[in-house]
Amino acid sequence: MVKSYFAKSLEEALEIRGRESVIPYAGGTDLMIEADDQASYLFLNKVPELKEIKADAEYIRIGAASTYAEILQSQLIPQILKDAVIEIAAPAIRNLGTAGGNICNGSAKGDSVLIFFAADAKLRLVTSKGERILPIKDFYLGRKKLALQKDELLVEILLKKTGLDHYYYKKIGARNALAISRVSFAGLLDMKDGKIINCATAFGAVSDVVIRRPDIDEMLAGKTTDEAKTVKDAYLEAFDEAIVPIRGRVSAEYRKSVCMNLLRDFLESNGI
Amino acid sequence: MIGNSVKKKDHDAKISGQASYVDDIVMEGMLYGKMLRSTKARARIKNIVLPEISDDYFIIDKDDVTGENKIHVVLEDMPVFPEDTVEYIGDPILMVVGPDRKEIARILSEIVVDYEELEPVFDVRKSEISFFHHNYNKGDVDCAFEEADRIITETFETGQQEQAYLETNGLIAYPQDGRIVVRGSMQCPYYVIGAVSKALGEEREDIRIIQDVTGGAFGGKEDYPSILACQVAVAAKKAERPVKYVFDRREDMEFTSKRHPSVCTYKASVKDGKVTGLDIHVIYNAGAYTTLTDVVLQRGLIGACGVYNIGNLRVTGDGMKTNTVPNGAMRGFGAPQTFFAIEMMMNHIAKSLCTDPLTFKEKHLVKQGDETSTRGKFHFQVPLPEMIERADQLSDFRKKHALYKSQTGRFRKGIGISMVYHGCGFTGNGERDIIKSVAKLRKNSDDTVELLISITDMGQGAKTTFTKIAADTLGIPLDRVTFNNPDTDRVPDSGPTVASRSIMVVGELIKRASEKLKAQWKPGEEQVIEEHYVHPDFMIPFDIKTFRGDAYPTYSWAVNVIEVEVDTLTAVTKVLGAWGVYDVGTPLDLNIVHGQLQGGFLQSIGYASMEQIGYNEKGVVRNHSFSDYIIPTAMDVPNLVTDLVEVPYAAGPYGAKGAGELPNVAPAPAYIDALENALQNRIQHIPYTQEDIMTYLQEVENG
Repeated sequence: MVKSYFAKSLEEALEIRGRESVIPYAGGTDLMIEADDQASYLFLNKVPELKEIKADAEYIRIGAASTYAEILQSQLIPQILKDAVIEIAAPAIRNLGTAGGNICNGSAKGDSVLIFFAADAKLRLVTSKGERILPIKDFYLGRKKLALQKDELLVEILLKKTGLDHYYYKKIGARNALAISRVSFAGLLDMKDGKIINCATAFGAVSDVVIRRPDIDEMLAGKTTDEAKTVKDAYLEAFDEAIVPIRGRVSAEYRKSVCMNLLRDFLESNGI
Repeated sequence: MIGNSVKKKDHDAKISGQASYVDDIVMEGMLYGKMLRSTKARARIKNIVLPEISDDYFIIDKDDVTGENKIHVVLEDMPVFPEDTVEYIGDPILMVVGPDRKEIARILSEIVVDYEELEPVFDVRKSEISFFHHNYNKGDVDCAFEEADRIITETFETGQQEQAYLETNGLIAYPQDGRIVVRGSMQCPYYVIGAVSKALGEEREDIRIIQDVTGGAFGGKEDYPSILACQVAVAAKKAERPVKYVFDRREDMEFTSKRHPSVCTYKASVKDGKVTGLDIHVIYNAGAYTTLTDVVLQRGLIGACGVYNIGNLRVTGDGMKTNTVPNGAMRGFGAPQTFFAIEMMMNHIAKSLCTDPLTFKEKHLVKQGDETSTRGKFHFQVPLPEMIERADQLSDFRKKHALYKSQTGRFRKGIGISMVYHGCGFTGNGERDIIKSVAKLRKNSDDTVELLISITDMGQGAKTTFTKIAADTLGIPLDRVTFNNPDTDRVPDSGPTVASRSIMVVGELIKRASEKLKAQWKPGEEQVIEEHYVHPDFMIPFDIKTFRGDAYPTYSWAVNVIEVEVDTLTAVTKVLGAWGVYDVGTPLDLNIVHGQLQGGFLQSIGYASMEQIGYNEKGVVRNHSFSDYIIPTAMDVPNLVTDLVEVPYAAGPYGAKGAGELPNVAPAPAYIDALENALQNRIQHIPYTQEDIMTYLQEVENG
């Protein structure tokens, strides 16, 4: 029999989450299409602590139940994330769907998830007994498999305040609106004094989990663009091996070609 | 002006949510139905083991069919419930009926079917069963080929297309005073009455069919309600209670009829820079049963040489059986497939002759007085030349087409053009010999007038345009004329709402009835006027055996231009502009006409670029939801312009011809022509998707 819990505070939510077997329900835009009338739901959309978007010295902190619409309205949110969020579904869904829900749906097609991967975002996961902070990369264990404990809630997404301004983003859907990503790509290039201090790339909707390979991106770190050109071929080759797309409704070959084309374009548009 | 737009008759009810669709209707004691469907594409059913069920649940199958176990569509090869073999995944073996849907699901999950699997056929090229074969000739093709400078052969393929109406198929059947009533979402109430009376073995008088508000159809509710009606009527008769069956989206997308996929091979003889002959073979994939294939195929064959005057023609066609869901009617009804093929063929011939495709096509255009493909006659003005000029003015086609020929770089533009006709009304003598439309007008004592016709409004605006015809002719306000959803107990058979015939044929009956009523108008008295179809006397009689004569009394015309930009890194295509110039005769309501034209335009771009049903190797439909079966939205073609050139048709009301299907015929070849212009390739199939573009680009890159 379905049970519904409406938490009014984080404390209450965590107490219920620790006590009962519940499915956390924020916007419900993913859950409602596969409604399970045997399940119990914990509604989080009225928990104030989960809806805050704020900044501290180091991070932009996005409450997990912040809706896409709220993210779009916030002045704290970097443009790269807004670019991704504005392409999600339609306004009605953006009024309900949340960043935390996008992450916890566990899909490599999540449009905001891609940006969080590229930005090496961290997740604050809380239980009634304590909390831990996990890089988003470690939160994903596989398709629909998350490192989320039974008593745990995703409370905040932590984005670094710097290094996100110079970016490249492209989403490929089957049409211009209301489309699930077929391939998505985000690239960040942070330069200082003519040198690359951080290059970060992420490929969405290609594999079971967003592909993020800091070990390969590291090849460009510390280099000028001219120096980066000398390792360009090796860099592209490494990603050519690293990207192994799954077959789905869209062919693996198509996905692979688009990934490599965009990656190359990302470099070339930065003079590499 | 009759064409000035008015608020649609059904606007308020639909916008306010008051309109009652079949899914909104709840009847006393109503039961729900759900099919047990075949999980095998082709198999013999050896045995079925049923679980215990309680008294208020029923299993409905072939043994419950009280009449003939046949669904009357055109032929009667489709059983109400299969006898001993299943022919496609989804073939409805039986129906479980009862009050609680969860319990129905439980019962369904516990039924065990023992199949003996047989080898299915999915590839239409490998099918050995031709349901229908037709052929016709004009001139001497063999001679044309003997005398040719060159002979060019190409094969074109088109995909299946889902109608994607918003409201899924749904009906309720119930017993009432010893009769069976079926109501719900449908295009053609009198088709349904014929099918149900056969399946139940009851007289037509004992069946009553009522159309409820219908949320879109696009042909998808022409044949299918006849099928579902037989099944729910059999169930209601057995259960002696109302039985409702409303498809969910997946069930609807997987198991109801769609547009026929095609394989068309065109062989052309060319002499002195002109096409002198065409030898055409058309294959339509019918799916598991015949449903409407024969007629769909006929329309495809008649239009096989497009808008061109080709003296020597040989056209053969087959409707082949495969083990997929039966294909049926969809907007354009067989025409989009062959018009795609001929338009591409003409482009490709022009390119192989190193001439400009548009100029080449213009040299071949039919004109008034010319013979049609079936040796009938284009009796009326063919406005294609001025429509091409208008399209060129709007889009700057000629200049851009030349400009875009040799591009390199990431983003490449292309522009394409296509020209088509759509034959208005039923093929050949169908109206005279089969349909024999009747329309009635009833004037009530309060001097309001009701239209009594079996035409259905499925969102296309029939209620509005028909009442406009009557009100305008009678000279009374529009709100004094009513047009209720048809109920076969109340309205005569004015034929089905298909084939771009409603306004032209039945609208004309309403016009004539209105004129008669006006002349005889007696204030405060009840009057009934009845009008019967009269075949236009100018028509050259059509013989379906030889495909000779006037296949249609008149034609609607369209010229479409589409401009695209391809991103060669991602293979994503953007439609930069889309222009359609149409002749639908006199428009009876401009908003409605432009709505039809724009909707059809977009739907055809979807057909050309992204709409894919997709079967896996076992014959299971892959794209059975709106997240997987992708149709374009307004965002995909923001710059869509539709424009009218009017050639009024004397035998249509106020000069109106057919409008609904026409816009769904022309855009696909224009879109592909634009892609070819951008990519400088040759395309022979639709949908031509992002993936196809990428494959091509990589082939070029890899030499």
